[in-house]
Amino acid sequence: MNEQFTRRTFLKLAGAGTAGALLAACAPKAPGTVQPAEPTKAEGEVAATPAPAETKKLVFSSYTWSGYEAAMRGVIDDFVAANSDVEVEGQYIPDDYWTKLQTQVAGGTPPDVGISDYGRVVSYAKSGVLLRITDLVAGSGFPIDKMLPGAVAQYRWGTGDFDTGSEGADLWGLPSDAQAQLFAYNKNMFDEAGVAYPTDDWTWNDLVTAGKAITNADANRWGFLVPGWGMWMRGWFGWQAGGEFASADFKTATFDSPGIAESIQWMWDLIYTDKIAPPPGLQAATNPFMSGQVAMAIDGIWWVPDFGTVTDFEWDMAMLPKHPQTGSRVTTVESDGWWIFKDTQEVEASFRLMSHLAGEAGQKKFGELSYVIPSCFPEVGREWYTKTPPEHRVKALDNLVAESRKNFLTFFEVWTILGACMPPIDAAFVDGTDVQAAIEECNTVAQQELDKAWELFNQA
Amino acid sequence: MRKQTLHGMRRQEGFLGWLFVAPMALGICIFQIYPILFSLYISLTQWNLVGAPRWLGIQNYVNLFTEERYFPKAMSNTGTYAVGTIVPGIALGIVFAMLLNQKIAGRFAYRAIYFIPVVAPTVALGVLWQWIYEPHFGILNAVLKVFGVQGPAWLGSTHWAMRSMIIFALWQGLGFNIVIFLAGLQSISTEYYEAAEIDGANALQRFLHITLPLLSPVTFFMLVTGVIGACQDFVTPYILTGGGPANATLMAVMFLYGKAFREQHMGLASAVAYILFAVIVTLTIINFRLGKKWVFYEEAV
Repeated sequence: MNEQFTRRTFLKLAGAGTAGALLAACAPKAPGTVQPAEPTKAEGEVAATPAPAETKKLVFSSYTWSGYEAAMRGVIDDFVAANSDVEVEGQYIPDDYWTKLQTQVAGGTPPDVGISDYGRVVSYAKSGVLLRITDLVAGSGFPIDKMLPGAVAQYRWGTGDFDTGSEGADLWGLPSDAQAQLFAYNKNMFDEAGVAYPTDDWTWNDLVTAGKAITNADANRWGFLVPGWGMWMRGWFGWQAGGEFASADFKTATFDSPGIAESIQWMWDLIYTDKIAPPPGLQAATNPFMSGQVAMAIDGIWWVPDFGTVTDFEWDMAMLPKHPQTGSRVTTVESDGWWIFKDTQEVEASFRLMSHLAGEAGQKKFGELSYVIPSCFPEVGREWYTKTPPEHRVKALDNLVAESRKNFLTFFEVWTILGACMPPIDAAFVDGTDVQAAIEECNTVAQQELDKAWELFNQA
Repeated sequence: MRKQTLHGMRRQEGFLGWLFVAPMALGICIFQIYPILFSLYISLTQWNLVGAPRWLGIQNYVNLFTEERYFPKAMSNTGTYAVGTIVPGIALGIVFAMLLNQKIAGRFAYRAIYFIPVVAPTVALGVLWQWIYEPHFGILNAVLKVFGVQGPAWLGSTHWAMRSMIIFALWQGLGFNIVIFLAGLQSISTEYYEAAEIDGANALQRFLHITLPLLSPVTFFMLVTGVIGACQDFVTPYILTGGGPANATLMAVMFLYGKAFREQHMGLASAVAYILFAVIVTLTIINFRLGKKWVFYEEAV
């Protein structure tokens, strides 16, 4: 054999090799390879197939922001220290986490365990992307009964359900925290107006009365901040007034039902009739409560660390004001959580990690690290809620334990429906136009979108 | 050793040539052509990213015009934004380029200053302008207040939000327009102006009959690229207003993004992309056709 390995031969082989490698590396998984949601074989096999000698590698993904990643790593490190057979590769995504996750899922490369989005539980579970963990939870003795029911309900979904939350339905994730709504007030503004601080007996009417005494629109000082619909769609005002946004079977939109319509009208009145709240367009670019523009605000508990940086005034928290007739101060327990993707090769280890993150030990650690608000175990969470500032942070937890429901924003096609029906309400709040007409239009659009969503639901 | 024929050598050279370009060609095929064709296919399906795509034919395209209540709004907002940024942008670019084309002290510094917003990240500029527009603490309303004018809620009003966004875009793009028109101005031979002066033409006549016609290729370039850029703008509304209030600044690409990644309607989002592509191509063809009537190329004389 006298043929030499020439430069050209080398280049040919190298070129072909490169091309082959490129093709192999870039070949995507075909869409649609995901199987429908059926009970997984892995569920029953968890206890029977441990391989303790072998290191199990898990990919864990999470969104992150300042300080959060360190807290998360701290909890994961505890897990790895106690589980020497498991390695965890963390993917911490600072921006647009859900887009990244969705792309991973579409590409067939989801992590094993990830932070979940309650708004996608139905579509992901229905599409067969998630691992059903009902039996894993039951078999492991995980203390799910000690968690706040509303938080867990966000991760219960039964085949055929349009929304999460059916009692006894399958579990597709575990909640990671228990985000309450806070009712914060600026003590200095109350003092200056000579108004007594809010108490647990306050009703909506007391809020208005105090707001009128405090408001000085010319000086850009307002009594209350009406939250944007992304917040109040968490439901509390409408629910407190005895309303529901949809019928129990989710076939009929009821934005125009008495309770919901009353609550929307009440919020609009705070701006344009009582004039105790700044119109949305005149709200400060920073949080108007933090800038001292408003004396009272209802917002997510996640604002506590930011509010805690305020040095210009003193502030505190109270339980939500009650509806004057129903006496309800119901709030939302809102929780991202953890889910396991169905394609994981390490079901047992993934569930162990998830149990640690969602369990009492992990939640306690999160509470100590302050960057994550615990907990679905009220007694574990109390440690965080009894910290200061403010003095009465625990009021939010008390409200949560006394009267709370799962987040409303969990139903199928939630963002399509709300994205279509809420702009008329938005416009009425921004421009001060007829809010009743906006409610009617909103409900009409919501019904149309709901009908379309059901059609899609039944096709998918 | 077997002798190679000339034909064989050419074939081998050709093969090697293809081999060398293969990585780039493969990259283009895999990362550009394949996604383009795949998104065309997806635009004909209903797909939520996690399940299997369901074939719909042209239904997504039909739905955009019959059922998607905010698609027409997004397209008309995009049109308003395009007109609002391109026409004044070109006019301001010419004016400032002529000013900076004068032999004034510090003109290089001025040119650099005007160009800073072009190279600065839009996100940072957007945040900066959110503060400028801030209704109570912002500098814009503070300045207006000095003159006894109560400034509006610039970004928080359905009436003002689009105008505010256009003002921001004009400010941000001005430096680029200036540089391009400056290059155009400096390529115009001074002989034309000298001849016109000898013939008694005044400054306005020289501008109208020499400068503008000889700048027309540059103006045409700015028009075509401006239309494309305005139709594709995403960052400006995303950072400044998020498309609000009440969809007052919702633009085509924001609509697309919302459909794709917020609502998980990838088919519909892909259809929006193709419609936008068709609109851009159509406008570009129209521009080229109309351009033949008003664009004056010096070398064609």
